[in-house]
Amino acid sequence: MKQHKITGNSLAAFFLTIVLVIQAILVLYPIAFTVSSSFTKSNSLASTSIVPFPKEPSLYQYQRLLTNPDDLVKGTTDVHGTNYKRWYLNTLFVACANTILTVILCTLAGYIFSRFLFPFKKTVMASMVILQMFPSFIGMIATYVILWKLNALNSLWGLVLVYSAGSIPFNSWLMKGYFDTISKEYEEAAYIDGASPFQAFRKIMIPIAKPEIVFLTLTSFTGPWMDFIFPKLILRSDDKKTLAVGLYEMISGRSADNFTMFAAGALLVAVPFTILFVLGQKSLLQSLAGTGGKE
Amino acid sequence: MEKSINPKKLRTAPILSTIFMGLGQVVVLKEYLRGFILMAFEVIILLNCSSIFNSVKGLITLGDPHPELPIKLKDHSIFMMITGIITLVVLAIFIITYVFNVRSAKKSAEQIIKNGKYPSKMETRNNISQHSFPSIGILPCILMVAIFTVIPLVFSILVAFTNYSSPDHIPPKNLVDWVGLENFKTMFNSKVGGSWTSSFGRVALWTLVWAVFSTFTCFFVGFFFAVVLQDKRIKFPGFYRTVFILPYAIPQMLSLFVWANLLNGTFGPINRMLQYFQLITKPIPWLSDPKMAKLTLILVNVWIGFPYSMILTTSSMTAISKSLYEAATIDGANKWQQFKSITFPLVMRQLKPILIMQFAGNINNFGAVFFLTGGGPNVSDTIATQAGSTDILISWIYKLTMNTPNQYNLASVLSILVFIVLVPFALYNFMRTKSFKESEI
Repeated sequence: MKQHKITGNSLAAFFLTIVLVIQAILVLYPIAFTVSSSFTKSNSLASTSIVPFPKEPSLYQYQRLLTNPDDLVKGTTDVHGTNYKRWYLNTLFVACANTILTVILCTLAGYIFSRFLFPFKKTVMASMVILQMFPSFIGMIATYVILWKLNALNSLWGLVLVYSAGSIPFNSWLMKGYFDTISKEYEEAAYIDGASPFQAFRKIMIPIAKPEIVFLTLTSFTGPWMDFIFPKLILRSDDKKTLAVGLYEMISGRSADNFTMFAAGALLVAVPFTILFVLGQKSLLQSLAGTGGKE
Repeated sequence: MEKSINPKKLRTAPILSTIFMGLGQVVVLKEYLRGFILMAFEVIILLNCSSIFNSVKGLITLGDPHPELPIKLKDHSIFMMITGIITLVVLAIFIITYVFNVRSAKKSAEQIIKNGKYPSKMETRNNISQHSFPSIGILPCILMVAIFTVIPLVFSILVAFTNYSSPDHIPPKNLVDWVGLENFKTMFNSKVGGSWTSSFGRVALWTLVWAVFSTFTCFFVGFFFAVVLQDKRIKFPGFYRTVFILPYAIPQMLSLFVWANLLNGTFGPINRMLQYFQLITKPIPWLSDPKMAKLTLILVNVWIGFPYSMILTTSSMTAISKSLYEAATIDGANKWQQFKSITFPLVMRQLKPILIMQFAGNINNFGAVFFLTGGGPNVSDTIATQAGSTDILISWIYKLTMNTPNQYNLASVLSILVFIVLVPFALYNFMRTKSFKESEI
C-alpha cells in the first residue's frame, strides 16, 4: 500500500514536470524564434529557420534599422535605411514628457482630492470615476479636430497632451487612494510650523508617497511605448512616428514582408523593457498586491 | 482704527453680485482681487455675446448649404459642432461661477457681520493661500480632462444623432444634419438596418463570448501554474516562474505581432514545422478560417495573459494562513480536498473584484483583436459593414471610424452602447473603494 502511494506520487510529479516543460517551451519558442529571425539576412518570413538559430547569423537587419533613411545600407547598392533611431527618440520623448506631466498633475490632484474641500468636489470626483472606464479613443474624431485647432497635429506635444489628459481620471484616483492611507498628523504638524498647503505637500507629503509615485512613474513611462491608435491618428510624417506605428507598418503594409527587420526592431525595444520590468518588479508587484488585496 | 460695519449695506452684497458678477465683492465686501477677476470674466462673456450666440446656433443648425461658395468658405458642420460644444462648456462654467459668486458673497457678508469687522490683510492672505491652493491645483487637471476627454465624448455621443458618414455627408464638401434616432434604427432594427443589424448581433455575441472566455482561460491557466509551482515535488520552481513571467514583461503589441507571423498560414514557422514532421498534410488556417481564428485568438490571449493571473493567485495564496492546511491534514483531508475547500474559495473571494474588472477590460480589449487578426477573416457581410469574424465592438468602432467608407454616425451608436455596458462596472469598481464606504461622496 505504501509502495503504491510513493509511485503514485512520483508519477504525478512526473506528469506535472512534463506539463511545465511543455508550457516553458510554448513560452520560450516565440521569443527564441524572434531572436533568431532578427539575425537572419533575408527579409521575408518564409526564409526564417523553424528551429532557432540561422545557420549563418548576420547583423544585416540591425544595420538596416540603424542606417538613416537617406543613406545606403553598408554592403548594398540600392537598400535604404529607416527612421528607426528617430522613432526611438520620439517615443522616448513622449514617454518622458508624459511621465513628468502625469506625475505632477496626478500627484497634486490626488492630494487635493484626499485632503481638501473645493467647490463642486463631489461632481468632479464622481465624473472622474465614470470617465476612467472609457478608452479615450472613442472620441478620436473630436480629439483630432481639437488638436488641429490647437495647431498640435503631427506634433509630439499633441500626443503628450492626449496621453496625460487621458490618464488623469484613473491616476488621480490612484494617488488619492494612497494619500488617504497617510495620517493627517504629518501635515498638521507642518501647518503648526507655519507651512503653506503647497509647502506641506512638497516637503512632507511627496517624500511619504514616494513608493506610489515610483509606481505612477513606471506605468506612465511604459504606457506610451506600445500605444498605436493615437500616434497613428495624430502623427503624419515618417520622422515624427513613434515605435509602435513604425514597427506596425514594417509588417502590415501592402508590400511589407519585413518580419526579420521587425524582429530586430522589436528586440531593441523588448530587451530594455524587460530589464526595466525586472528592476521595477518589486514596486509593480507591491502595487498589484495592494490594489488586488483588501481595500 | 477699525471701521464700523454696516450690516444693512453688507446684506446687499449677494444682490449686487446677482446684478453683475463680482460687484458685491468689490463694492461692499472689499474682496477686490476676487471681485475684479469675476467681473473680468463676465465682461469677456458679454463682449463675446454675439459669437457665443452664433456658435450655439451653429450647433443647432450645423450650417446652411452655400452652393455658390468655394469649398474653403462653406459651413463646416463638424467644426461648428465642436465649437458649439466648447461654447456650451464655457457657458456651463460661467453659470456655475455665477452661482458660486452669489453664494460666496452671501457667506462673506455673514462672516463679516458675525465677526463685526472686515478680515485683516493677514487673514485675507492666509485665507487665499488656504482656499486657493486646492482650486488652483486642481484647475489644470479639470481643464485637460474637459478638453481631451469630456468634449470628445460629448461630441461622439452627439454624432450618433447625425448622418456624419461617407460618402454623402463628409464636410467640407457636404453638410452634416441631425437625423434623430435613424442610426439606432439602422443598428438595432433588422427591418431598417439589413446587414448592419445582423452584423451587430454577431459582433455583440462574439464580444460577450470573447470576454467570458478570455477572462476565465487566463485566470485558470494562471491559477493552475501557480498551484503547480507551489507543489513541493516540483524541481526548480524558480526557473519556471521566471520563464512564465516573460510574456507579461514583453510589450503586448510585440508579442501579438510575433504570434500573427508565427501562425501565418503559408509562411509561418508553426505550420511549416507541423508539415515538416508530417503531422499535418494541409496547413492549418489558424487566422484565415472564421471559427479557427476565434479559437486562436483565445489561445494566444492565454499566452499573453496567464502570467498576470499567476502572479496574482500566487500572492493571494501566500496570504492564506498555514494553520488552515495543518488543521485539514490532521482531519485527514488530502491535497485535492484541501485545494477544493481552502485554497480555491479563499483565492476566488479575494480575486473576484479583479476578475470582474478584467472581464470589463476584455470587453474593451482592442489590442488583442486588432494586432493579431485585425478583426479578420472576412465573412459574408464584412464588405457591407466592415465587421470581420473576430471583431469585437471596440475594434469595429475603430474600423468604422478609421477606414473608408467612414461611418462615424454608426461608430458613435456603438460607442454609446459600450458606454452603457461599462457604467455598471465603473460603479461596481467605485463602490468597493474606501472613499465610497466612508461615504465621502
